[in-house]
Amino acid sequence: MTMFRADAVDVRYGGVHALKGVSLDIAAGQLVGLIGPNGAGKTTFIDAVTGFTPAGGRVVLDGADLSAQPAHRRARRGLARTWQSGELFDDLTVAENLAVSAQHPSWLAALGQTAGRRPRPDDVVAECLDRLDLGGLADSPAHAISQGQRKLVGVARALAARPRLICLDEPAAGLDTTESAKLGRHLRAVADRGTALLLVDHDMGLVLGICDHVVVLEFGAVIAAGPPAHVRQDPAVLSAYLGADDQSRRAAGR
Amino acid sequence: MPNLLLFALLGLGQGALIAAIALGVVVSYRGSGVINLATGAVAMVSGYAFWALTSGFFGVTCPVPVAFAAALAVALVVGLAVEAVVFAPLRHASPLARLAASLGVLLTLQAGVLLIFGNQPQQEPSVLPAGAVPLLGVTIPVDRFLLAAIVGGITVLLAAGYRWTRFGLATRAAAENEQAALLAGLPTQGIATVNAAVAALVAGLLGILAAPIIQVDSTTLPLQVIPALAAALLAGFSSLTIAATAGVLIGVGQSLLYYLATQSWFPTDNGNALPGMSQVLVFGIIVVALFLRGAGLPTRGEVAERRLPAVPASERLARPALLAAAVAATALVVLPYDFRQALTNSLIGAVIVLSYVVITGYLGQISVMQLALSGTAGFLLARLAGGHVPFPFSVLLAATAATALGVAAGVSALRVRGVSLAVLTLAAALAIEQALFLNTSFGGTSGLGVSSPRLFGLDLGPDGPFRGLDGKQPSPVFGLLVLGVAVAAGLYVAHLRRTVLGRQMLAVRANERAAAAAGVNVRGVKVAAFAISSFIASLAGTLYAYNYASVSSVRFTALAALGLIGFAYVGGITTVSGAVIAGLLSTEALVPHALETWFGIKGTWALLFGGVSLVFTLVGNPDGIAGAHHRRKEAAKYAVRTTVPATGETA
Ligand SMILES: Nc1ncnc2c1ncn2[C@@H]1O[C@H](COP(=O)(O)OP(=O)(O)OP(=O)(O)O)[C@@H](O)[C@H]1O
Ligand SMILES: [Mg+2]
Repeated sequence: MTMFRADAVDVRYGGVHALKGVSLDIAAGQLVGLIGPNGAGKTTFIDAVTGFTPAGGRVVLDGADLSAQPAHRRARRGLARTWQSGELFDDLTVAENLAVSAQHPSWLAALGQTAGRRPRPDDVVAECLDRLDLGGLADSPAHAISQGQRKLVGVARALAARPRLICLDEPAAGLDTTESAKLGRHLRAVADRGTALLLVDHDMGLVLGICDHVVVLEFGAVIAAGPPAHVRQDPAVLSAYLGADDQSRRAAGR
Repeated sequence: MPNLLLFALLGLGQGALIAAIALGVVVSYRGSGVINLATGAVAMVSGYAFWALTSGFFGVTCPVPVAFAAALAVALVVGLAVEAVVFAPLRHASPLARLAASLGVLLTLQAGVLLIFGNQPQQEPSVLPAGAVPLLGVTIPVDRFLLAAIVGGITVLLAAGYRWTRFGLATRAAAENEQAALLAGLPTQGIATVNAAVAALVAGLLGILAAPIIQVDSTTLPLQVIPALAAALLAGFSSLTIAATAGVLIGVGQSLLYYLATQSWFPTDNGNALPGMSQVLVFGIIVVALFLRGAGLPTRGEVAERRLPAVPASERLARPALLAAAVAATALVVLPYDFRQALTNSLIGAVIVLSYVVITGYLGQISVMQLALSGTAGFLLARLAGGHVPFPFSVLLAATAATALGVAAGVSALRVRGVSLAVLTLAAALAIEQALFLNTSFGGTSGLGVSSPRLFGLDLGPDGPFRGLDGKQPSPVFGLLVLGVAVAAGLYVAHLRRTVLGRQMLAVRANERAAAAAGVNVRGVKVAAFAISSFIASLAGTLYAYNYASVSSVRFTALAALGLIGFAYVGGITTVSGAVIAGLLSTEALVPHALETWFGIKGTWALLFGGVSLVFTLVGNPDGIAGAHHRRKEAAKYAVRTTVPATGETA
């Protein structure tokens, strides 16, 4: 049994059929790339899987069907995600950002805890910061750090939830080549320790370089899937990218 | 039946005024994305100006046409000045900050009018012809029809203007997507200014024309913005025709309620018709409008930077709390009686503001209703104490029941947030004030007596046997009781910032969907925040009741709530020290009392100061007084940290 299974996930936005029954399996510790031209439905897929947009089909994690669960329950069950635009909690410090996703007592329990002592710092916070070389930023306010650091903190925050699968939406966008390569090494290390990753990015070098398996979306449907070496030469993929707009063509040509 | 018609048509006058303010609200929203709570206050200003110029208030009596033109000019100047000084600098602030700024404008205008003209309602001469027309067996004053026709004409004119002129097109573009309009080279600030002028003129005009029908005074007119907001919400803040029609209909509906209230079947309260039904009607319309239109307002694709005031976590709480408590306790014993009373008032004010720190500072939502919860708890306490429920159980029971009301309100409004929530709770506050507090089976117009709290035979109330150094009432023991509650609430709120729940509140405030993705139960956190805030507000309400030995609705009005929110922003809405500062500044508290005693500066000046400093706080220093202090300290700390290692290396 695979750890994670998305089965015929289907999303419509008004007249737009953004996802046309996409299925995808991911095993523990697997690093799966999800690529495709702009507007292909990659973000929509992550939104559907993590519960941020109503979707048809099924989402199963460790044998449990999460399709009917709200977003925060899915997160607690082990589906973490990052956002294309960062979306940190700007009013909190970097360490507090991680702490929010590290512990989630029920709200009643949390209300009860306010009568007790202040919570002890969670070990997982420091550990996740260290794993992404962010230890020095722990006490910085989240709004004060650089764009590249924001992306890494987003990944660290997802890691701090001790998830089974992290969906990463363009974590390398806005990073320079060295930062991007460093991020790639970090992600590979995370996967090797048993956390599955779904990586959406336009940086083909990054995706084809570190992923075990790559899925290509176009117009909301899977047009190719397989190991990176195989996908790289797939004629459907080449034509999808050559037919697409400038940015994707540049990205594909990298 | 003829009477039904009579009242319906009489309501056209009030309806025209509401419609004009609704037009003003929609026009300024489309122009700049500000929900301008001060639109009704502009009508008040022009109404007063017209009255003053025709009655010789300033020593000269102008002929009506001159006074009319001058009063309109005043409305225009006020509208333009507010746009230039307040809203233009806040163009990129969050919608909630701009709403709060418009609240500052409302408070400023209101205090200004109170200072110049006093609080007597004035009867304005009518500009419109007097006469009456007979219609289907009733006679209706002709001005009602004229008012409705004028508003109808303005609506048609404006709607056509926005549809077919270049300026109208530009406004629509900016309202659809401000960022795109800016990129297309449209002068968005100019568009906002012209729309602000139009809004001020329309509201000002009806302030002059319709005020004779409903009297000019400084509370009724500004609050007409609430029914106007209901109309604007129904119109989705975009259709002028719907807004104006809804405004007129709300006026007609309110007038019909007056008629229905004369019927024998209408529910009564001690022989009088049930009070406050027209405010309940407006609240109901807002609920329906939010339901129909969805909880959110149309977004504008704005270039908003969404920074909210920072919420520093304090490392040490015990020492500053002990210090402050010791100072306050000494002051309670040593100070003369009037200052002792003012200090007690300040402490109660600080506790109420703490409830706003939780809901607005931590959670990022404005709930105007919290003060109404204080009032509810106060009245409940009076009833319980009257029914011989002993202290402190009476307090706990009253506070718990009022908290339950607050949580229920919070739960039913979970999907409503931001500006919509502020508008909804403002209408709720007014409805509670008019329908619940003025209902004699619950509250009453003259106030309810409250007996002093007694514990083991000791009188802890303000008239207790222990006196301060000057041997006078109020008893410092009651002050100490209040101080105890204030310190406990302050410590709790400061500690809350450091707990898991506090972190979750800030996460929700920063970004609801990112919080959900991190596993935070956003709704649960909101319910918890409403519960905490409501309980603190309710506790403060019971203290108020003991403090004045009676509860009356005047302390818990919607306008008083707006004033407190203003002071909370000025002090610093995100911190406990900000709440203390706000408490010291609030009505009848230490600062206004000292100013009045030493310099003869009346409390109304404090209100004016509150309004003006609210505006300048938002424009210049969104963290408030306490926040600015904290930032300076932080800056100093970082400066030290970064310089020390540098010198160490060179050494
Ligand atoms: N909230 C929404 N409402 C309506 N349509 C949407 C919404 N979100 C996305 N879409 C549409 O769904 C399609 C898929 O969009 P999506 O954002 O998933 O693409 P993407 O693959 O992530 O693109 P990119 O690489 O640019 O991030 C697009 O046609 C987009 O316009
Ligand atoms: Mg995307």
